[in-house]
Amino acid sequence: MKRLLTIVLTLLFLSASAFADDAAEVGKSLTVHSFQFKYKKAENAAAAIKPLMSAEGSMSIRPAANSLVVTDLPENMKKIVAALADFDVEAQPFRLSVRLVSAGRVGAARVAPELRDIESKLALMRYNALDNLGSADVMGKEGEAGQIELNGYRADFKFGEYDPASDSINLVDFKLSRLEADQLAPMMKTTLNLKLGQTVIIGATKQAQSQRALMIVFSAKR
Amino acid sequence: MMSCDAFRTSFHADTENAALLAHLRTCDRCLDFAATVDPDVLFRSLGGEDLVPPGGVDAFVDDVMRQVRVRSAENTVTAVAPVSWTRRLAIAAALAVVITSATLVSRNDTTATRFEPVKRAAISAPRAALTTKPVVETYESDSATIVEVAGEHNDDVKIVMIFDENLPADL
Repeated sequence: MKRLLTIVLTLLFLSASAFADDAAEVGKSLTVHSFQFKYKKAENAAAAIKPLMSAEGSMSIRPAANSLVVTDLPENMKKIVAALADFDVEAQPFRLSVRLVSAGRVGAARVAPELRDIESKLALMRYNALDNLGSADVMGKEGEAGQIELNGYRADFKFGEYDPASDSINLVDFKLSRLEADQLAPMMKTTLNLKLGQTVIIGATKQAQSQRALMIVFSAKR
Repeated sequence: MMSCDAFRTSFHADTENAALLAHLRTCDRCLDFAATVDPDVLFRSLGGEDLVPPGGVDAFVDDVMRQVRVRSAENTVTAVAPVSWTRRLAIAAALAVVITSATLVSRNDTTATRFEPVKRAAISAPRAALTTKPVVETYESDSATIVEVAGEHNDDVKIVMIFDENLPADL
């Protein structure tokens, strides 16, 4: 009798655990949300929320409708909704500060007073002679073009979109040229992500052993 | 032994002639003939009036009816007999085995045939690695090496060095 009862209880336990697994899977269900964008492109929005998505999440871009269909866990969807609400806003204005610094490795260190804030950082790269070639501030909105001219150098660029996930502004096609014999000689062309409030130093030189480098110091703020 | 012609000549309804009735028991053709003349002749030929069951007809009929009632009662009792609790437990256990087996088989089949969505590497990568974008997204040069100098996560100054053979030497 007891044996029979034990068998029955065991079987009931197995059945219950089997159904409990199913219930757990159901509890982990995904939610689907469709977003339509007014100011920004859906593909840029997709790139912006990629870091926020879980391994179970997926998304589908509909360029014709400028919309995005996102599937993810409910708790993740809240973050995505909030991030996209911040993202799809009118073009925001930003202030970009650019400084050009000539850096060298020499015997006697010399640093211009206005460059003290980056002296210690560049000392790590063994650059101890820092000369200020000029600086400029540019205001611009997302999507707008900008231009800077500094002591024989010229920079052309475009303010890209602000990415709320990384709190950074995209500086698109930053082209630096140098005036040589009344001609602008292109030096570099790059696209940068500048985190707001952070000073970013782009050092350009031929080789790691080169004694001279051009430092472009960026700072982007709202 | 009486001939068939003699039988048909002598036979009439309600006859009790023993020789005629004995002929009927041996001759089917004459039996058919006799039945058309007298339908009761068959029973008389069998001697049915002499077949009295032991104890009389009424006792026989009572016995038959009692048997009928007993059989009927047995069938009724068998139909409504309660199943013992041990048997019910056994049936429940068997059903549980069947359901559990079916469930497990079904789950295994489902797992085997389920199509998992293709996950892109970018989506399944850890979030911490993607919330920080690279400073240099693109750089136009075939011979450049870009080195992002390591610093603290919340460092307020970030250095990225670009080593490019195409850059002028007199920077």
